[in-house]
Amino acid sequence: MGERTRQALPSVLSVLLSLVVCWLLIALSRDTEGFTTATAAYLQMLWGGVGDWPRYLEGAAATVLTRPLGEAAMKAALLTFTGLSVAVAFKVGLFNIGAQGQMILGALAAAVVGAHVALPAPLHIPAALLGAALAGGAWAGIAAALRLYRGVHEVISTIMLNWVALRLVDNWLVVGPLRGVAEAGASITGTAEIHPTAQLPRLLGDVSRLNLGFVLAVLAAVAVWAWLTRTRSGFETRAVGLGDEAARAAGIPVARRAGFAMTLAGALAGLAGAVLVLGTEGRYPGTLGAPYGFDGIAIALIGNNHPLGVGAAALFFGVLRAGGTRMQLLDVHKSFPELIQGLALLFVAGRLIWLAVLRKRNAPAPVPAAPPAPAAQVPHA
Amino acid sequence: MLEIIHRLLFATLDAAPALVFAALGAVLSERAGVVAVGMEGMMRTGAFCAAVAALVMPTPLAVGMGMLAGAGLAAVHGFLCIRWRSDQVVSGIALNLVALAGGTFLLETHFGPNGTPPIQQLSTWELPGLSSVPVLGALSGHAAPTYLALVLPLLLQAMLTRTPLGLRLRAVGDKPHAVATLGLSVPALRWGAVLGSGLLAGLGGAVLSTTVLDRFEQHTPAGLGFMALAAMVFGRWTPMGAFLAAAFFAFGNALRIGLASSSPALLDLVPQGVLLALPYVLTLLVLTLQGQRNSTPAALGVPYEQESR
Repeated sequence: MGERTRQALPSVLSVLLSLVVCWLLIALSRDTEGFTTATAAYLQMLWGGVGDWPRYLEGAAATVLTRPLGEAAMKAALLTFTGLSVAVAFKVGLFNIGAQGQMILGALAAAVVGAHVALPAPLHIPAALLGAALAGGAWAGIAAALRLYRGVHEVISTIMLNWVALRLVDNWLVVGPLRGVAEAGASITGTAEIHPTAQLPRLLGDVSRLNLGFVLAVLAAVAVWAWLTRTRSGFETRAVGLGDEAARAAGIPVARRAGFAMTLAGALAGLAGAVLVLGTEGRYPGTLGAPYGFDGIAIALIGNNHPLGVGAAALFFGVLRAGGTRMQLLDVHKSFPELIQGLALLFVAGRLIWLAVLRKRNAPAPVPAAPPAPAAQVPHA
Repeated sequence: MLEIIHRLLFATLDAAPALVFAALGAVLSERAGVVAVGMEGMMRTGAFCAAVAALVMPTPLAVGMGMLAGAGLAAVHGFLCIRWRSDQVVSGIALNLVALAGGTFLLETHFGPNGTPPIQQLSTWELPGLSSVPVLGALSGHAAPTYLALVLPLLLQAMLTRTPLGLRLRAVGDKPHAVATLGLSVPALRWGAVLGSGLLAGLGGAVLSTTVLDRFEQHTPAGLGFMALAAMVFGRWTPMGAFLAAAFFAFGNALRIGLASSSPALLDLVPQGVLLALPYVLTLLVLTLQGQRNSTPAALGVPYEQESR
């Protein structure tokens, strides 16, 4: 088994196992025909995520494909950005729990630039993206500075900064000074609508919400991957993450690398906010709706902190999230995609169990007896 | 004036216990070297199970069920982190996610989106002779957890600093190999600490659904588990420090609610959102001023391997 496979296999197996566990949960929570229902629900989830191919082949309009695909890609774009954010910080040995707060700031900045600045489209979109990246980066920069100069642990500072961002933006700015005013003077929830010039172009026309944000997310994943593996500063960043004492001894500017990585992490999370506002919402809504920043933690870890792995995990869970709503047609609860994601992460946490099991199968080595996978131990609450 | 202090104190004593218990649980776990990011999930599990249990059994017993449920989740954490040396942060975050999604699923399929039906709250205790004294009277009229939250930090502090067991627990978080050299079991000590933290987090959650509220709601811990972590760091990983920090957070919250309700004019001057952000900004400021220094347990988050040195 190659090293790459060995690294990726536990994540893949964890996702599969969580799918199986949730399938069983759905099946067992039914009185009759549970297994049929569970299978049907999974099929609905699949068609809702990658397009309803059976209906399309029966002659339905192409929207049965583009609409689900667009939703999945849209969700995947957000998860890619926040997942990359967490992964980049991890690479330098910092744990960014603050992607949510950085995303809030980025979304707000994008909404303000989008609505209150008048520019032609070729400049407006980059300006709004830049504003979001700067805002997110600055917010993470606070945590980085506290860590580097005052030794404040970034887990605590980013948790605090999440709350500060949420309270200041959702409970004050968006309902106060920045609240949008609709026509006829009526107040609306959220900020003013962005100018059409700031909207990310839709890629499949009006039938799907798929927009340029998805392309940006893919580019970001490739760019981060190239930076980490192909450049000197990326290599140094990883060296710091592997051991800052050794890195310092090798003459790597540890503080600068850590500060830059954390700021980049914030910028990436900020871009997630920008894509949400510029691509789909059109304004900073009353609240971001879903904890994409926290989901980023799970995505980064399931993707094994590899930029392309993060992209793959984001894509998969984007499909799951988009398709998850379709399961409700069969009366399956909408929190199943999140449960699958949570269980997958739990199984990923047991990476060493997977490795022990795999090693045992390949070559009987003296490893401790593998206990059953933790599936049976997970309380359902 | 006295009346206002009395009311603030009373509100603080009502709200603080949940945070105090969770913060103490976090201290216990982290002093033994196991990261406690999963507090939020354990609190949520405890709150949910206590509320559900209270539908069919007396409330004090239901609180116990909540504690056991918290310990059950902690056992998963222990299994992954102690037995299998998993990344403790990953495991904790995963537990939070599973508790959130699983709890939402169970709540909505069994009770609907508005939470469980109302339950019998824990009964409150009037302290004879004290209720009529100004200010101090605020001590009277709380449920049992409040009084426990005032005593437990002292007990835990004494346990950690004055007893052999406490010494061993602290040593396991700083120099586990030294503890092993003495012929003591590092895994056993860590298991004890992790299960204890689960019991305490479950108790914190159960307090929320049986005294602060009279049911479990979708958003019940609402980040309190993370606040508990902040209180722990703020209090430099000591039970008394964590208690004081948690009490400070609870007081800040009571103050904000008190201010907002007693003088609405203030809200024109300082927006509600800024008031809401204030405790977090203050925490950041204090952390900035005090810096970290060396209060973090040395072996925190480092999986223990007998062979490695």
